[in-house]
Amino acid sequence: MQPPPEVVHWMFGTGFVFLGLCLLAETIVGRKVWRRRAWRAYLWPSVAFLMGVFMWPVMVFFTSSAIHMLAHGVWAQAMMLAGAAQLGLVRGKLRNPLWELTLPFAFAVSGGAFLIHEQNPWLFSRAAFLHHALGWTAIVGALVTLALFARPRSPVFNAGFAVVFLAFSVLLFCDRNVAPIFGHLSPLAGGR
Amino acid sequence: MRALVAAALVALALPASAFAHANLTQREPDFGKRLATSPPAVLLHFDQGVDVFANSIEVRSARGALVTAGPARTIDKQRIATVPLRHLPKGAYTVRWHVTSFEGHVISGVYTFGVRVVAPPPTEAYGSAGPTTFEYIVRWGYFVGLALLVGGLAFRLLVVGKRATPALERRFYLVAMVGVLASIELGIVGFLLRARDAFQLPLGRLVYGDLSPLAQGTRFGTAFIAMTLGFALVAAILFLAWLTERPVLLWPAFVIGLVLCSGLSLSGHSAVDTGSSWRSELADWVHLSAACLWVGGLAQLAFVVWPSAPGLRREAFLRFSQLAAVLVGLMVGAGVYLAYVRLPQASDLWQERYGQVLLLKSALVGLALSWGALHHFVVRPALERGRGTGSRAISRSLLGESAVAMAVLLLAAVLVDANPPERPVKQPAAAISR
Repeated sequence: MQPPPEVVHWMFGTGFVFLGLCLLAETIVGRKVWRRRAWRAYLWPSVAFLMGVFMWPVMVFFTSSAIHMLAHGVWAQAMMLAGAAQLGLVRGKLRNPLWELTLPFAFAVSGGAFLIHEQNPWLFSRAAFLHHALGWTAIVGALVTLALFARPRSPVFNAGFAVVFLAFSVLLFCDRNVAPIFGHLSPLAGGR
Repeated sequence: MRALVAAALVALALPASAFAHANLTQREPDFGKRLATSPPAVLLHFDQGVDVFANSIEVRSARGALVTAGPARTIDKQRIATVPLRHLPKGAYTVRWHVTSFEGHVISGVYTFGVRVVAPPPTEAYGSAGPTTFEYIVRWGYFVGLALLVGGLAFRLLVVGKRATPALERRFYLVAMVGVLASIELGIVGFLLRARDAFQLPLGRLVYGDLSPLAQGTRFGTAFIAMTLGFALVAAILFLAWLTERPVLLWPAFVIGLVLCSGLSLSGHSAVDTGSSWRSELADWVHLSAACLWVGGLAQLAFVVWPSAPGLRREAFLRFSQLAAVLVGLMVGAGVYLAYVRLPQASDLWQERYGQVLLLKSALVGLALSWGALHHFVVRPALERGRGTGSRAISRSLLGESAVAMAVLLLAAVLVDANPPERPVKQPAAAISR
């Protein structure tokens, strides 16, 4: 009944590629042009929030280990929190700029969850490699969004923010349940 | 700064410590299977190689007798752990297993199967324990969260209506969000604690436990899945209502929240104990829902209306007073029916632990109702005459009634996890599920 985990990862990869492209487009054309249509301001935060909502079924239906379940719960809440805070800021319901810090917080917590929940070494299998890479990408994302908080108009940091999501999507699309990484697959990984 | 960058690069380049943990992919016999004949062995299939010790797989009867016929070992390149079994007579059996991944992680699991009987859920496996005091507290927090959410929504929709001020609205959403978050988080903690009871493992090893038999093979697990998904949806709707300033969205959130209260009724004593029927399930749902609406409404009156909307105090008090009378009637009526169903004899009230807790709960409910009656017969007429809306005594009195009502929820949490006395009738041995 359940789809293979790799299929679920591809679905979320699709969401991240959309987020990344929206943010990249906003960086290229500039915020003023991007927001000529008001709904565009809500686009990426809404998608992030929605992806958080859709992470809950993954959390409750994939319960092969407790740590796996908890990690997905953390990602669900991190995405909902970051998306909700951005929506609140865009809408004007939240006025304190410190709410922007929910983004680096969400990235840092998500990265930590990736790194803690993946117990295999980098080259154990492709999935293990990707989990490590995703974890560290999220940590980089936390640093980029922290820098963005300090310099919100910087095109470099805005582009970096978009690239983090694109990197997420590439890594998620590369996922296969049992596959080698750089020609290496641990004999314990079930690939024999 | 350079040192930080260098440390980050080193951490990125070096592989993480070499741990690997195997995942259980198949069980023979499978979880919850009702077998026609005794199986020759238990086989656990993993996606990676594992090491086992002689006692890595224990199979026990419902009375705790070990029914394995030899030590555990591995086959098929160490990807299958197996243990031979004696001829198993009719009955329920518990399999507890602990294997070590090649890199040293211990992973564990517990599940049940039956030979010519229905297998009990893992929460009823031989060796399972609980609930602990901490579980009672978590369950209580869960009930409080549910009351703040569902009762808060009902209060906002049925009592406040279109008269909400911005200050009241802010506080209302804050309290309701606390309620929904508590329901989600404490629901997850409660599920993990129940898993720990079944696995009998410390937290460090529980994180690698296979929770799928508990999540997918028990009423409790089904309720956990439905309620986690439901509350996540309610949180999203609540947020949208706040963001778009459309209180009409609170209606679906309220209805879903009210329906989710039935998750506890459908997975608790009222659904599975002897004498249970659709009537006891319905009564349990009415009892819990009415209690949540009452306690949550009191909390809104004390923590939201009184401090943030002085102009609404009188009207909100009077309107809630009418609603509370109906709610208390429903709660007491359903509670009396449930006590009649669950306690075969009146003497169980003072002789059985379940009855004693129920008696204590009834006493607290009596205290809360007396407090409510004082509000109804003394405060309400004063407010109707246009006096007392600025009184601090009323505010403190409302807080006091709320505190007593929340104490009632604590005893309700104890009752949910306690077993009522058994009725002196024949019952299928393995049909019990919590």
